[in-house]
Amino acid sequence: MSEEMMVLMLQLGFILIATKFIGYVFAKYLKQPKVLGELVAGMIIGPYLLGGLALGSFGPLFPLPLNSTVPVSPALYGISTLGSIFLLFDSGLETDLPTFIKFSGKATVIGLSGVIVSFFLGAGITVLLRPEVSSLMDPSALFLGTVCTATSIGITARILGENKKIATPEGVTIMAAAVLDDVISIVLLSVVVGISSVQLEGGAIDWGMIGNVAFKAIAFWAICMVLGIILAPHFTKNMKRLGQLPLITEVAFGIALVLAGLSEMAGLAMIIGAYITGLSLSQTDVAHALSARIESVSEFFVPVFFAVMGMMVNFSALKSVLGFALIFAVIAFIGKLVGCGLPALFVGFNARGAFRIGSGMLPRGEVTLIVAGIGLASGAINHELFGVAVMTMLVASVAAPPMLVAAFKAPGSGYKKKLNLKQNENQVTIELDFPSLRTAQFICDSVMDGFVQEGFFVSTLDTSKVASYHIRKEDVIIQLDILREEEDQAKVKFFCNEEDESFVRLMMLDSVADFQEFAETISSMKDSEMMSSQLLINMFSIK
Amino acid sequence: MKLKNVLSEKLVAIDLKGTNKEEIIQELLQILVDNGKLKDKELAFNNIMERENQMSTGIQQGVAIPHAKTKAVDNLVACIGVKKDGVDFSSLDGEPSNIFILTLSPSDHIGPHVQFLAEISRIIRTEESRTKILEATSTKQVLSVFGI
Repeated sequence: MSEEMMVLMLQLGFILIATKFIGYVFAKYLKQPKVLGELVAGMIIGPYLLGGLALGSFGPLFPLPLNSTVPVSPALYGISTLGSIFLLFDSGLETDLPTFIKFSGKATVIGLSGVIVSFFLGAGITVLLRPEVSSLMDPSALFLGTVCTATSIGITARILGENKKIATPEGVTIMAAAVLDDVISIVLLSVVVGISSVQLEGGAIDWGMIGNVAFKAIAFWAICMVLGIILAPHFTKNMKRLGQLPLITEVAFGIALVLAGLSEMAGLAMIIGAYITGLSLSQTDVAHALSARIESVSEFFVPVFFAVMGMMVNFSALKSVLGFALIFAVIAFIGKLVGCGLPALFVGFNARGAFRIGSGMLPRGEVTLIVAGIGLASGAINHELFGVAVMTMLVASVAAPPMLVAAFKAPGSGYKKKLNLKQNENQVTIELDFPSLRTAQFICDSVMDGFVQEGFFVSTLDTSKVASYHIRKEDVIIQLDILREEEDQAKVKFFCNEEDESFVRLMMLDSVADFQEFAETISSMKDSEMMSSQLLINMFSIK
Repeated sequence: MKLKNVLSEKLVAIDLKGTNKEEIIQELLQILVDNGKLKDKELAFNNIMERENQMSTGIQQGVAIPHAKTKAVDNLVACIGVKKDGVDFSSLDGEPSNIFILTLSPSDHIGPHVQFLAEISRIIRTEESRTKILEATSTKQVLSVFGI
């Protein structure tokens, strides 16, 4: 046990160092998303490349476990799953619930079409190019078709999160469609397993069992969503009485973990439970503050998830089927791009939006390997075809992130209509000029303290361009931007609803009054030259 | 924020006697003392005057909102006073103030103190509301402007 733990700590240490360095190189020098660097780091240090090399008597750092589809130890896989839960919980928090609900109908069409097109293209190309597979009902064709269907929501969520695109119409549609994809895939997998076992072992298809799987998956999703939406505001309202944001965050994450476990119990991926928890809380006033707190911890765990995903790429399995595997991977790629992009054009998105959605649905991850693993264990596919699944995952994981980033870089909305979100109605802007950026920042800090005193939650939105803050309490949402103007002057802008305007003005007024008092206190301090000499007098004295 | 949880008829005076800022504030504080809402009138007065010295709370259109955070109260308390002739409150527009809303909130509590003021200010922003308050002949009529 203690040796296993020792190995685990070493593994985690190397994973963190490698993912952080390679992720940095990818982001800074190759201008690629960090997640790609993390995946590549996993491939390099994983059991199929450097991690498989024996280090003297210690043996390999990443030994392959026996009798397991997943090429890492259960403990490491567990920690990587925890990373995926952090990621999807945070993605849920960043999703805009009203937009998610509004676009869930469109997402259903897109997700369903993506699964159908990918499945038939994958199964079809297998029949066409593999002589040993004669029909679409052949277990090999069925499994490879299923391999094509599952989208890895993790990669997409990370890229959308990094680029602040989760709350866009395309972002929520991708997230909703990917969640739906998981539900459909699990149902499809049970159908495929049922048909395959009949073909391999004889007997009749157990439609009752398949119906049960489908019902459990769909019912879990629906019940959790409804309960989450109803209960989340009550939960935060009661928890806020305790007055401690850290406590709310930790309890909320605890709920995410419980729901992740229950999700797995219902046959769905764990990340679905985590996403539902985040999504339910996204409507509450603590969502931004929770997200900011979760992000600081998740940066330790999320790279482990992607590194382990990268570790699943078995390069030696690709050798014997390289030609077919490449064609298959490209077909799987096209299947999602067309299968999801094309219907997007008919449900209100323009070509730009359709391309974004298609690209967002491309990444494949561990679900691909799990499906192929089940096929391999049941004898439905052989080791060669398992290699095809590995190649599909590799191509999709490496090619999709840059494509998705590029798709979202193009300016303009991907949605044909203009979104009329509630918070944009009756919005007013209050502007104030300040003589310097420091003064503006100082007063705004005091204003934000004032908001916190009033029971508001303040979180930083984006510090890269302007200092921007999200201030929220229940339905009152205020945004505060501090902008640098010419000659080091600064402008402070408040964005709020008309009915909250007086509140914001009074709050600012009180803070300016406080600041004036502070300035007077400063000016009543001792002569500044005298202070300087007091500070410097002993600096150069020799003892 | 429910205004009726804080305001009642006993906390409204429609004919203040004071002739300057200090007298008006003292008179309003006395209303709170009489209703058992204030523990230390002198402390509250000092805290309010400190705030007034930083920046006058005489806003515009005859409205003044003297307020402070103080240890003299346990909860958010407020009262409304009207002086039809108005007094000089060093207001922003230089006009005399005739509607006064005094608010005190505990200094060590997190609570919707500014939100309460904002709610009040939002209501008396309109000319119609202010006229109704100034023409009111009973405390009930004043409260009805605030929907109480």
